Parts: sequence; structure tokens; C-alpha cells
Amino acid sequence: MIFREVEDRDLIEKARRGDVEGYNLLVSRWEKRVFNYLLRLVSNREDALDLSQDVFLKAYQNLPKLDDVNRFPAWLFRIAHNEAFSLLRKRRPDAELIGEPRRPDPGPGLLPVELSLAVQSALGRLSEDQREAVLLKVYQGFKFEEMAEILECPVSTVKSRLYTALDVLKTTLAPAVLRTQTMGGEG
Amino acid sequence: MTCLSVDHKPDWKAYALGELDAESRRQAEAHAASCASCREELDAVRVTLDALSTLREEEIPRRIAFVSDKVFAPRWWQAFLRPSFAAACVIAAAILVHAFVRPSTPVDSAAVQATVNAAVTKAVTDVEERHAKEMSAMLADYEILSRQVTRMYVVDTGLVRQ
Repeated sequence: MIFREVEDRDLIEKARRGDVEGYNLLVSRWEKRVFNYLLRLVSNREDALDLSQDVFLKAYQNLPKLDDVNRFPAWLFRIAHNEAFSLLRKRRPDAELIGEPRRPDPGPGLLPVELSLAVQSALGRLSEDQREAVLLKVYQGFKFEEMAEILECPVSTVKSRLYTALDVLKTTLAPAVLRTQTMGGEG
Repeated sequence: MTCLSVDHKPDWKAYALGELDAESRRQAEAHAASCASCREELDAVRVTLDALSTLREEEIPRRIAFVSDKVFAPRWWQAFLRPSFAAACVIAAAILVHAFVRPSTPVDSAAVQATVNAAVTKAVTDVEERHAKEMSAMLADYEILSRQVTRMYVVDTGLVRQ
């Protein structure tokens, strides 16, 4: 992990000097994480891919403004967050679609197991803010402070959104978890 | 069953998410050892997180890569601006001029040849110096522009990789 961080820092410095190949290497390291974060947030593969390209283009253009290269991950996901919510706002310009969970876009990479599908469905039922908190913490492994930086809100807000989301998920996933445990017990 | 130590009840979500420091973790574990309610709560959080972990990351459908703008690549006609070509032109011009303005009266051919050679040498030297300066200035400008105007194009690596 330490070596990885050092190398990322080197690649960022190269990219700042206009080394496009260095930047491409940096992109190759982060594109999957950014794509999956955006995919779970906007629930559409093509939109997620387009947004990913925009994110890395904007990141390249704004690299000189990055004060601390050690904060590159949070900074990159801050850009991704802005791009995603810009799209989500365009989708619903007049009102929040509360109570209308977006149907997840079924993709070939999903595991064909009931629990995995139940998780995907349960995430789709969360509000966008709650879902994003789960994505950043559970799937991307950011610390609360980093999440607060990405979302530009206090740590207390981050925790509130995440904890509420986990309570909702616990209830929503309980039947699927129970079935899985029962099947496991039978097997 | 509920935990009786309301004021000191550990934050089990933070614990399961790895947000507690070492000392807080130790205290939480000591508390859980003697509190069935908290063990139950922690188990529930873990079950939820385990369920979430069944959702795998997807591969990105197309790789993302960038190429730099080749707007500053030299054009074919710019080859003619090279100092060696310009010097050759000067020499050719000097020979032609000499042929047309050659005096009809007999002269000392060796002296004339020496004069022509000196003139040609001086002209070539002057042109090469001038072009060397111009080339240095152009290269400096190119460096500045290429840093300032590094326009990027998005391409699919599967299709184009320049």
C-alpha cells in the first residue's frame, strides 16, 4: 500500500508536467473504482462510463490545483460526486423522486445469486445521499473525514446518512439473509 | 434485551466499519464480552456488511485513456525552413550572381575566386547563426505552448492508442 501511494504520487507529478502516459497509468489504476462508484450511484452503465471519462478529464485539467497529492483519492471522488449529482439533478429537475427507487441496470458482471440481487435492489431503495454514503464507506473504504471532504458536509452528517442507510439495509435485506442462512443450513 | 450502559455504549457501526482507534476498540470488545445485547447488535451490523460484500465490482466496459494534441507537430513545408536548406539556397544564389556579373576584362581569377569564397562563407555563416537563433526561440515558444495548451482527447484504448 505504501509503494502504491508513492507511485501514485510520482504519476501525479509526471501528469502535472504534461506526461500524458503517466496520467494514463494513473487512470488505469483508478478507473474501475470510479466507474463502479458512479455505476451504483447513477444505475446506468453508459452514463457511468461517460461520467468516468469526464471525471478523469476534469481531474487532469485541475491537477495543478491539487494542493496535497496524498489527498488525490478523496479529491478524485469529489469530482466524481459532482459529476454524478450534476447528472442526477438533470434527471429530476423539478422534484425529488422520493419513493421511486430506480431499477438497477442489470449487468453481466453481477453474481447470479439471490443475495447479490437483493443487495442491488436494496441499495436502489436508499436515497441518493444514503446510497452514496454506503458506496464511499463500504465499497470504497474511505474514512469518515475523507467522506466529509468528498461530500462537503460535516462528519456528523456523513455518519447520520450512513447509519440510517445501514439500518434500512438491515431491515430490507433481512429476508434474503435469512433465506441464505436457511439454505446454507440445509446444504 | 437492552444494553444498560447507555452513556458508554460503544458505537458498533463505527467498530464494524473500522473507524475506532485501538483504545476504543479494546474498550468496545471488553464491553461486548459482558453484554449480550451489544453482541447481538454487532452481529446484526456484521451480517448486513457481509451481505453488502456479495455485490462484486464490475469491470469497466471500455478502458479510458488520453492522447495529447498533435497540433504542434511540424508540417512538411517546415522542412524547407531548416538552416541547411537556407544555406544551400544562399550558395546557389551567390554562384548565379557571380556568373551574371562576371567582368568581361581579364582579371586575376584566383583573387576573384578567393573573394567569392569569402563572401559565400560569410553569407552561410550569417544565415546559420540567424536560423540557429530563430530555432532556439521557436523551441522555447513551443515548450511554453505545449505546457499551456495540452488539449486532451478521450479515446478508447481498444480503438486508438497514439
